[in-house]
Amino acid sequence: MIVSRNWLSDFVKIQATDEELTQRLTMSGLNHESSEVVDDDLAIDLEVTSNRPDCLGHIGIAREIAALFGYDFAIPTPLIKETGSPIANQFQLRIEAPELCRRFTARLIRNVQVGPSPQWLIARLKTIGVPTINNIVDISNYVMFECGQPLHVFDFDKIHGGQIIVRDPKPEEELVAIDHRVYRLEPGMCVVADAERAIGLGGVMGGADTEVTDRTVNVLIEAAQFNSMAIRNTARKLNLHSAASYRFERPIDAHNIDWASRRCCELILQLAGGELAQNWLDVGSRPDEHPPIELRFDQIQRILGIDIDNEVATQILERLGFKNLQQSHSKISVSRPSWRNDVTREIDLIEEIGRVHGYAHVPDDIAVPMSASHRRTEDRILGKVRNALTAAGFDEAMTASLIPAGWSEAFSPWSNLQPLQTSQGMLGVLEKASHNVGVVKYLRRSLVPSLLEARRINEYKSNSEIELFEIAKVYLESEKELPWEPIKIGLVSQRDFFEVKGVIETLLRHLNWNGELDIMQCDFNLLDINQSCELRINGEILGWLGRVSESGKRTFGIRQHTIVAELDFGLLCNLATLIPLHTDVSLFPAISRDFNFIVQNRIHWSDLRAVVAEAAGSELESIEYKETFRDPQRDGSDKKRLLMSLVLRSKAGTLTGEQADQICREIVVSCQEKLAAELVA
Amino acid sequence: MHQGDALRRCELGLLDFSNDFWCGMSSNTVITLAQFIKELDGFSSDAQAAFDSAQTAEDLENARVEYLGARQGRLKSLQKLLGGIDVEEKPAAGKKLNEVKTNVQQSFEVAVQRVAGGGATAVRDPLFDVTVPGQKFRIGKLHPITQTIEELKDIMGRLGFSSVDGPEVEDEWHNFEALNIPGDHPARDPLENFYVATSERNSERPSSEGPNQRLLRSQTSTVQIRVMERTQPPVRIISLGRVYRPDTADATHYPMFHQMEGLWVDRHVSLAHLKTVLKLFATSYLGESVPIRIRPSFFPFTEPSVEADYFWNGRWVEFGGAGIVDPNVLASVGYDPQIYSGFAFGLGVERLCMIRHKITDIRNLYTNDVRFLRQF
Repeated sequence: MIVSRNWLSDFVKIQATDEELTQRLTMSGLNHESSEVVDDDLAIDLEVTSNRPDCLGHIGIAREIAALFGYDFAIPTPLIKETGSPIANQFQLRIEAPELCRRFTARLIRNVQVGPSPQWLIARLKTIGVPTINNIVDISNYVMFECGQPLHVFDFDKIHGGQIIVRDPKPEEELVAIDHRVYRLEPGMCVVADAERAIGLGGVMGGADTEVTDRTVNVLIEAAQFNSMAIRNTARKLNLHSAASYRFERPIDAHNIDWASRRCCELILQLAGGELAQNWLDVGSRPDEHPPIELRFDQIQRILGIDIDNEVATQILERLGFKNLQQSHSKISVSRPSWRNDVTREIDLIEEIGRVHGYAHVPDDIAVPMSASHRRTEDRILGKVRNALTAAGFDEAMTASLIPAGWSEAFSPWSNLQPLQTSQGMLGVLEKASHNVGVVKYLRRSLVPSLLEARRINEYKSNSEIELFEIAKVYLESEKELPWEPIKIGLVSQRDFFEVKGVIETLLRHLNWNGELDIMQCDFNLLDINQSCELRINGEILGWLGRVSESGKRTFGIRQHTIVAELDFGLLCNLATLIPLHTDVSLFPAISRDFNFIVQNRIHWSDLRAVVAEAAGSELESIEYKETFRDPQRDGSDKKRLLMSLVLRSKAGTLTGEQADQICREIVVSCQEKLAAELVA
Repeated sequence: MHQGDALRRCELGLLDFSNDFWCGMSSNTVITLAQFIKELDGFSSDAQAAFDSAQTAEDLENARVEYLGARQGRLKSLQKLLGGIDVEEKPAAGKKLNEVKTNVQQSFEVAVQRVAGGGATAVRDPLFDVTVPGQKFRIGKLHPITQTIEELKDIMGRLGFSSVDGPEVEDEWHNFEALNIPGDHPARDPLENFYVATSERNSERPSSEGPNQRLLRSQTSTVQIRVMERTQPPVRIISLGRVYRPDTADATHYPMFHQMEGLWVDRHVSLAHLKTVLKLFATSYLGESVPIRIRPSFFPFTEPSVEADYFWNGRWVEFGGAGIVDPNVLASVGYDPQIYSGFAFGLGVERLCMIRHKITDIRNLYTNDVRFLRQF
């Protein structure tokens, strides 16, 4: 809201400097954005919060200034002479849609002289950045910016049938507005109509047919109160936002309607002449009466943390226009002024007292009791996961939770249910090259698609070492009222399959889980059929790991070799041990033995490992995979060699060479029997 | 028992030989104390000369083996002579042997230091270029938003606020109603929110009718409600996470961003507590005490509502919105507003992060160009 300093001075004599004034306004709720000198005036731009529609006019802000600085404040009473014949004989008003329009009033002035506005009026409108049109239109704008009540002036002679009906739109009804565009009227919009047709959209815009022109002689002045929601919806639907609709979207001061109408007539009579008809037409509901509000003085200290003298508090309320109905040493009962619809409760009065008294009085160094906060287990584990992944050379990425349909369909390992979608798409979040992938409105069921897009962007920029992880929620439809939002860990890497697998295995060790992953086959179009697997722990799915297939690379516009993985953070939390318990290390020396087995190609390392581990028994400390080696000429093309290294150690005593040899013999026999594995001599 | 003797003698302070030495003694060659001392002196001066003249580690190692070697060293031979000394004179001989051994050992240590380059006489090897870069290993970086969030959690944790989490897909009750945002409030406009529905193949429009619709939360205040619904005061929490508003992405807007929301409800929590906690927070975050101010504002879920600013680098910087929890909010979760009061505050993580790192375009945070990510 831009206000003119000269204009404010009509109502309050400001002694403060501009600096003091704007500073004080900022600190009491009207945040000062900027000021600009306009000729001999100062345009002050103040931010008015949505709870203070009373400050959408100069009078409201002048009243606020008076209350803050203790200045005198007065609103002149408009002086009008009703010299014409009674309006009731000449015109009729009717509200047929009371849910859209609470109250509608009209005054009539005949024989006006439409022409340019006088210089003083033009200057004030210029200060606040409002263009001038003609004296009648300028006056209606002027009064709105003075008191906050929007007005509309009709060319009286263009209204057919001598009446205005405020009603719902008829089917297919249209209005040519003063911007000369045709608007289709829909249910919920407040139509101001004459006997034959719509002549305006109440509170939003007037019609072209009845607008005031140079040839206008008689004018009808509307001052009304519309339903805020209806105005907001109409303005938005038609994209017709005006200073009037802005004010009507908020509660207006119903007691001010008459003043605004009179003020408008006063100025028209002064500046354009004419004869005002006797009385006015006023239909619809009267303003509501509001119950008194009680304030217990001790609540001020309880909420604000400072003592404010009862008399000071009372004065502040009175200066703001609250009427002191009854006061005792412990409490006060007030009635609120009509322009303060936002104040209905004790807590609201406390805010008024606090902000005018000044929050600078509230201390910022009181004693605050200590409290033991705790870091959640998930947060601790999350920290460990992040440490492990950055140590493994992955940079952390952060991507949007919504993705386009194509990406959503490309990979959804955790759920077969349809993705959730939003009522509108996220705009501006896609890189240019991805503009054709569709609307970004699907809640993602996997992090992998977003990471592949991040991968593509980096590849496109010729960046090297594109190693990314993200830890974030995915959104899965569930039977419950709200979707399931498990946290997942996504990885995208240029390394080879086993390097990334090693990162996952190391991550598990870092969380102090020392078991073995169960590796299963998986089948996703996104992943290479060979280089991909499902990772399970005790039957539960930890996640998936795989090389992106050729078709997957095409889907995401990726050129180079890429490995992706996604892990369930919840399962990691279940198996992580944050406080490991100590076990004694063996005091006895270890014996290391290497094995080189020839096995059929179909035998997996995990098969061989399991047999070896079982045969080695409790003395086995570790099995380390060394390599797979193929020598078709010596072993045949259907066989391979698996090399491993074992460490044997006893907790009970020094393992002798003979004991170790015995264990090794058992291993060899067992592998021979169960897997037909031959030991290379 | 030899070993027993040795231990006893050690205790008496007579000898300081290792057990091994005594255990290993076996020679019976007879020798006088004077001869023994002469042998020792000769050994000492030879060893000293050999160690001093050694120029390389290899020279020195050869000298060590010759004089101090555990198997064939000259000291080992001398030790064996001890067995041939008269019992009466043995303590004196042992003492002398110990002295010589210690001295020679010290000479050796000095020579080791010298040869290793510690001494003034060391010669630099021009072939060893210490300016060649070390072998780096690749370490990843955490996203700047994560780093900011962790810092915020850390600071608030020290101020006694525990971090809690809540769903991002919310219902209207938690996102609006319970926060004193009634049905006709502009914040609930469908165009201002991402309402959520299950996608239907044949329908482009998700149904947006019906009570308690689901939507992507537009603020982390939702978590306040969820925590208060299941906990009795005192409550002292922060919630941090993603929130969503349908702004078109540009340099200063993104339809997804992060918020931190703090809440403290107890008996006698006032605006002074809020101001004090914000001051402590700003001091912790900025590393020094800065002036802060609060000025009136408006939010549906707080009354009084304020904006908090801190004074930094010569100007007031907006910090975030805050206020005393509106009695309607307390009542909506079943707290008695006559008994309990509290404050809430919220701030944008992106803003803090961007100011901190001088990031000028919010979209950089979500493009994930690795050249950007590696800067933090």
